[in-house]
Amino acid sequence: MRSRALAAWGLAWALAVSPPVLAARAGKTAQSSKKTSQKGKAADAPGAEAAGPSAAEIESLRQALLGAEDEEASEAADKLGSAGTARAAEPLLEVLAEGGRPLRVQAALDALGKLGAAHALRNDQAVVDALVLYAGHRSPDIRRRAVKALANVPDARVTGPLMDRLGDAAPDVRAAAADALAARHETRAVPRMFALLSRGDAGVAGPLASLATPDMVPRIAELAGAVDDELVANALGEYVKRDDVPEKLRIDVLRTIGRLSGAVATTALAEYLASVPAKEDRASKREAQKLLDQRGGTP
Amino acid sequence: MRRAAFGAILLAALAGCATSPYQRAGNGDDVAAAVARRRPPETGRRSLAFLVLGGVGGPRLAEYDLSASRLLWTQPADVTMRVATGATMLVHGAKPAAPASPGGEIVGRDLGTGAVLWHHPVASSEELFGYALDGDVVYLVERVSSPGSKPAGRLTALDGRTGARRWDRVLPSARVAAPAARGGVVAIPVESQYVLLYDGATGAPLGQVLSTEEAATFVRALPEGLFYGSRGVFLMGRDTARGSRRSPSYLSAHLPAFVRPTYDYDFYRPEQAEYSAIDRNRVLWRVTVEGGRPQFRDGLAVVHDYRFFFAFDAASGALRWAYTSPTDAVASVDTGQAILYATVDGELVGLDPRTGARLYQASLSGGAGAETVRGATFDAEGFTPTAGMISAAQPPDLAATLSAIIADPDQRFPALKLFAVEELGRQPGRAVTTKLLELLSDQKTSALAQQKAGDMLIGRRDAGALDLYRTTLRAHADYCEKRAAPPVEVLARALGALGPLGRSVAPDLEAHLTLPETTPAAATEIARAMVAMGAADSTAALRDFLTMYRSDPVYERDPAALIAASEALLRLGGTADRELLLFVAEEPHTAVGLRKHLARALAETAPARHP
Repeated sequence: MRSRALAAWGLAWALAVSPPVLAARAGKTAQSSKKTSQKGKAADAPGAEAAGPSAAEIESLRQALLGAEDEEASEAADKLGSAGTARAAEPLLEVLAEGGRPLRVQAALDALGKLGAAHALRNDQAVVDALVLYAGHRSPDIRRRAVKALANVPDARVTGPLMDRLGDAAPDVRAAAADALAARHETRAVPRMFALLSRGDAGVAGPLASLATPDMVPRIAELAGAVDDELVANALGEYVKRDDVPEKLRIDVLRTIGRLSGAVATTALAEYLASVPAKEDRASKREAQKLLDQRGGTP
Repeated sequence: MRRAAFGAILLAALAGCATSPYQRAGNGDDVAAAVARRRPPETGRRSLAFLVLGGVGGPRLAEYDLSASRLLWTQPADVTMRVATGATMLVHGAKPAAPASPGGEIVGRDLGTGAVLWHHPVASSEELFGYALDGDVVYLVERVSSPGSKPAGRLTALDGRTGARRWDRVLPSARVAAPAARGGVVAIPVESQYVLLYDGATGAPLGQVLSTEEAATFVRALPEGLFYGSRGVFLMGRDTARGSRRSPSYLSAHLPAFVRPTYDYDFYRPEQAEYSAIDRNRVLWRVTVEGGRPQFRDGLAVVHDYRFFFAFDAASGALRWAYTSPTDAVASVDTGQAILYATVDGELVGLDPRTGARLYQASLSGGAGAETVRGATFDAEGFTPTAGMISAAQPPDLAATLSAIIADPDQRFPALKLFAVEELGRQPGRAVTTKLLELLSDQKTSALAQQKAGDMLIGRRDAGALDLYRTTLRAHADYCEKRAAPPVEVLARALGALGPLGRSVAPDLEAHLTLPETTPAAATEIARAMVAMGAADSTAALRDFLTMYRSDPVYERDPAALIAASEALLRLGGTADRELLLFVAEEPHTAVGLRKHLARALAETAPARHP
């Protein structure tokens, strides 16, 4: 959740891209480049990250990112996303702050996501604010990309917005939010994920399985018949592969999967077998094999 | 023999047609004298309902005693034209009993037993327009055709006990309508603009009314007088012998647009003399006469609209009460003391005309299986349901009744429901605001009703409901919780209408600027509301909205929301906001419409430069 103090200034100012700077850049690109170049140099001052591209390279990419050509901007965003340095985030956030065309915004969000995945995204308000803002964009595609980027922001403030996106109207956005929350081991999301599974939302089956506690398993199993069996098989199949599941419970879950119809149930059993090291002898492995044989399937 | 006699009368009448038969039309002395001849009705107070039944029991006619709450008799009968009652007998139209009478027949029955007293076939050369009873005399109006002659109107008096013809009277026109009779005077509309008055005993003409401004499509005989009219009601007398709406004896209730102002059915149309939808959708009215001048009783006109009853102040049109029946009321009457109605499933109900409180209730079926009631006629003048006939005779709560009407799943009454929304919005109280918000949030509410509810909410300017607005706005759309987006656009307009009084809700409103489900139209209204409220603290949200969407293709097509946000920033923001707007105006990817607008707006509001 954005802090009120920063929110009061709006995204443009929160990112230190103040309106006067924007106004100046609109008509005086060269002059603005000089200013921001100096800004880039400041980021390279002692204490800043030394790894990754130089300040000049980042500034060059920034120019392309903010330039007239969408294709060049997308390429620049991709390179910044691969830079592996927090300094690369600044021009990307600048795109979000001044608001660009969808292609450019998408590229910036993807690049921020890559930086986050590489643990190169700073845990600061500006990043959170920008991504949360775009997680509420009218375009589902932009929201999904913003949510994916949020997943890798190491900041507790993103949990609330991610929980909100579990209620998004677009299935892809809900699925991305569920993935993000699961990756963050956010167990508070379990009730909402279960509610979504109950509504037949396929995108939450895996994430829910990764967060579910043992007491949740019977409730998931009871959804069989109320929602597509494939969803239940998918969720239980993911659950059963977890290392922390007691062997006895795992066998029960496998038997439940065995009672479900459809190819997904067969696949879940096969995938469980495949997930167990070949040399390891488990009762659950034998049970899965037996169930699979009964279904006429082959691992 | 009968035909020959009538032919002679007809010839005599036609021979006298050299001069206008309406020479005395509008003569106040004639009409006043005719009205003055009216004798008091012979029948005493009764509490009878005649129910036309169908369904598995076959076509029947039943008589029900409302006072005793019991069925008196049931007889097989295929009733067509409405039942009319006399002193000791009744008549009704019936389907043809023989090929010789394709126009059907009139059946006379004994009031006490329902036994058939006589049949009066309507010949193929006759067209029956209707009948009326006065005491035990039946008056028929027919159009009669004879070979080689033009059709002519005819008034016939029959003995109610025997069906024997007492006299015939040729009417001066073939364009005739059904009669009304009471106290020895028979009234018949002809040519749409005249009402002819005859002596019920002899058929002698008594007077002629000329309606100059409004068609006279009905006549009605009530204890308080003889009436005629169409879109309004004239009390027959010296003042209205030449009917004009300016006459003090003319009444027309102020009614809302959804009401069809049918004060009675069209007596020129025989098909309307049958039980039909006309009985379910009409104005119920009675009058009091003081100094010869009529007024609607208690100042009210009651509208029966299928399942619903509304009482309106006849002068102002203000709604006084509303009542909903669970099933269609097939017929109703204002007895002066009660609004009585019968439902399609055999319920008989009496309402207090002043309050709408249910005073009386009885069931025809008595738990022995449902009856289907096709139509009903009440002979219950002065029937007053007494206290104790029904418990909990409380007047219906108007707001609750209107809310129930709006929520009713019956899809037949869109205009009526819109009216209910409008009336609900006029009612005071926080509960009403809550209900309007519910209507706006309910996906089942029709688009038109939502629009009306929104208009009423905005018009209420209910500053005492800010917490309700806040709660509604905070309930964001959530697929997981199966919750739709709140009615942001309407709420923004409602808060904007409050001006600075609504400012405390601005944070909850601004949050919607950056929610995906917020439509451009809603965003526009939010921005406008911010200006109206003077919500200077909301500029950050406006900036975010503006920058996020300034290059968005959706807003390229219609930049109204962006323009509204930029206008709000111009008005509420400071120097830095102006500079942001300058950037937005000059940045080439910004929506063209917004750029043009900003270029103009920034120029017009540029601070003066000092040398």
